[in-house]
Amino acid sequence: MNKWTKDHVGGALLLALGVAVAIAGAGYGLGSLRQMGSGFFPTVLGVLLALIGLALLASGRRAPQAAPPEPPAETAHLAGPLVQWRAWGCIVAGVLAFVVLGEHGGLVPASFAAVFVSAMGDRRNTWRSAAALAAGLTALGVVVFHYGLHLLLPLFTW
Amino acid sequence: MHDSLIQLMYGFGVALQPDNLMWSVFGVLVGNLIGVLPGMGPLSTISMLLPIVSVIAPVPAILMLAGIFYGSQYGGAIGAILLNLPSHPPHAVTCLDGYPLTRQGKGGTALGITMMASFFAASVGIVVMIFLSPMLVQAANSFGPADICAIMLLGLLAGATMSRGSPLKGVAMTVLGLLCGTIGTDSMNGTARYTLGISELRDGVELGGLTMGLFGIADFLVSVNRTTVSPSGAHVRMRDMRPSRAELRQSFWPMLRGTGVGTLFGALPGTGPTITTFIAYALERKWSKTPGRFGKGALEGVAAPEAASHSKTQVDFIPTMSLGIPGDPVMALILGALIMKGIQPGPQLISDHPDIFWGLVASFWIGNVLLVILNVPLIGVWVRLLRVPYRFLYPSALFFIAVGVFSTRNNLFDVAIVAAFGVIGAVLLMLEFPLSPIVLGFVLGPMLEEKFRQATLLSRGDLSVFLTRPVAAGFVAASGLLVLAQVVAWLRGRRLAAAPA
Repeated sequence: MNKWTKDHVGGALLLALGVAVAIAGAGYGLGSLRQMGSGFFPTVLGVLLALIGLALLASGRRAPQAAPPEPPAETAHLAGPLVQWRAWGCIVAGVLAFVVLGEHGGLVPASFAAVFVSAMGDRRNTWRSAAALAAGLTALGVVVFHYGLHLLLPLFTW
Repeated sequence: MHDSLIQLMYGFGVALQPDNLMWSVFGVLVGNLIGVLPGMGPLSTISMLLPIVSVIAPVPAILMLAGIFYGSQYGGAIGAILLNLPSHPPHAVTCLDGYPLTRQGKGGTALGITMMASFFAASVGIVVMIFLSPMLVQAANSFGPADICAIMLLGLLAGATMSRGSPLKGVAMTVLGLLCGTIGTDSMNGTARYTLGISELRDGVELGGLTMGLFGIADFLVSVNRTTVSPSGAHVRMRDMRPSRAELRQSFWPMLRGTGVGTLFGALPGTGPTITTFIAYALERKWSKTPGRFGKGALEGVAAPEAASHSKTQVDFIPTMSLGIPGDPVMALILGALIMKGIQPGPQLISDHPDIFWGLVASFWIGNVLLVILNVPLIGVWVRLLRVPYRFLYPSALFFIAVGVFSTRNNLFDVAIVAAFGVIGAVLLMLEFPLSPIVLGFVLGPMLEEKFRQATLLSRGDLSVFLTRPVAAGFVAASGLLVLAQVVAWLRGRRLAAAPA
């Protein structure tokens, strides 16, 4: 069905990452064994990572039949039940919402958005239950973190 | 020896100070809770509590973190025996005989035996720690950078290859962790490395951000819309927990043997707790005259692995505290917390900060006593908490992670790092890579690089220094043997696979 197993994908990723790291590392100056440059250690690690990637690619066995469906080659094709785009999007967006709103809105909007957006990733959460959870946690967060632990994030900024 | 006893008394004085005691109790309770909860391990909990670490004094911080660690072991055993939840890999083996015992109505006895075995094993581990650590420190004073490098190499390799899953993937993740540790400004000459042009990355990746991404967010990403836990309630009364004399006799030797296994494996750097408990179980089964009973509710099958896991936990602290080289990811995280508090781990730690070391040792005993007392009434509470649906649990945890990571450095950029490592971790998990070696590599990375550069600088670029110094050579040889053993095992597995089934 699929020519790519998990080991193949992982191996390819490691190989690419290792090569990139090694090339960038070499740019930081290798120096000599006697006086190592900044690039020496990471370059060695990059080469090592690439070699492991190659080994994984070479030895990549097929996953046992009982295992859940294998992910195809690139993340872009990881459709189906394996990656839940909505859930992933919501959870990551929730964290990022905290970053953006923390900077430009303050603790209250950031907390509410982080909980609300991430909660919407679960199919069983309605916008109502997510909003209730977000409101509750925001209130708790304000009391505990702002008044209790004096978190260095204003309640509102704009 | 006399000296150690005086120091120990001093340690009790430190550990019993109200402030320290309070944080220690807090850690033990939290650890106990997360030990029962599936999906929450000591790694994610410790990282979630790192923000608290940054505001309290070093001694209570370390006592709390240690409390989480061993508290979660008791919790894990409860989950395994009463609820058949192998939520923590080291206790998965306890399910095999623990849950059958519960179904036979002997869950209380199993818990009682477990607690006794745990307490006994932990005590042995603590005693070993008291006497071995100062000896190790003395030896460590003569260690050069090359020796330290070689020890770290063995620890990293063992951590990578002896956990679950493919050893090759474990090594890959260790290397990845080492690389994550190089991100930021090179301490030797100020070169900015792998910052991708982002100025915030010049200070490096924050430990809390990395671990919360890998063990928090990544876990949510993988288990959202999937996890359905509905544990059955189990009632245990104090009275049920007292084992009979025959049961005590039955589990005495398994307890001793388990403790031995745990102590031995704790002293070997990098051997994971899971492999330790499995070996203890296998040994017990081999030893038994009636191996058929195993898997159907044999008390020995509960006592031995639990004893092993607890003595190992204690002995694990020895290399961490006396050499500054953590034996497993949780230890790496505790070490990271020490560094965060401005305490340089290494052989000088015990003499420079006796309050930390001896306070920690004493708090182990206090914490273990507390756990034995508290476990019983708390079981019911934890079981009720298990019913909080995941769809409420993860957004709440995510919120605490975001606030927590922000508060460590008052930096919102660190929160973005969490998101990044969350996605990285989830992809790696789906590709069946183990994540915990990354932490080990990340914490040890900067230290390894520094020592390696020092070693070659001292030897004027001569790499043979790793083979001529006896200590270094010994550890390099051990590392070589480890790799060889893995290759042999792999080749053998291949031949088996090639043979027609």
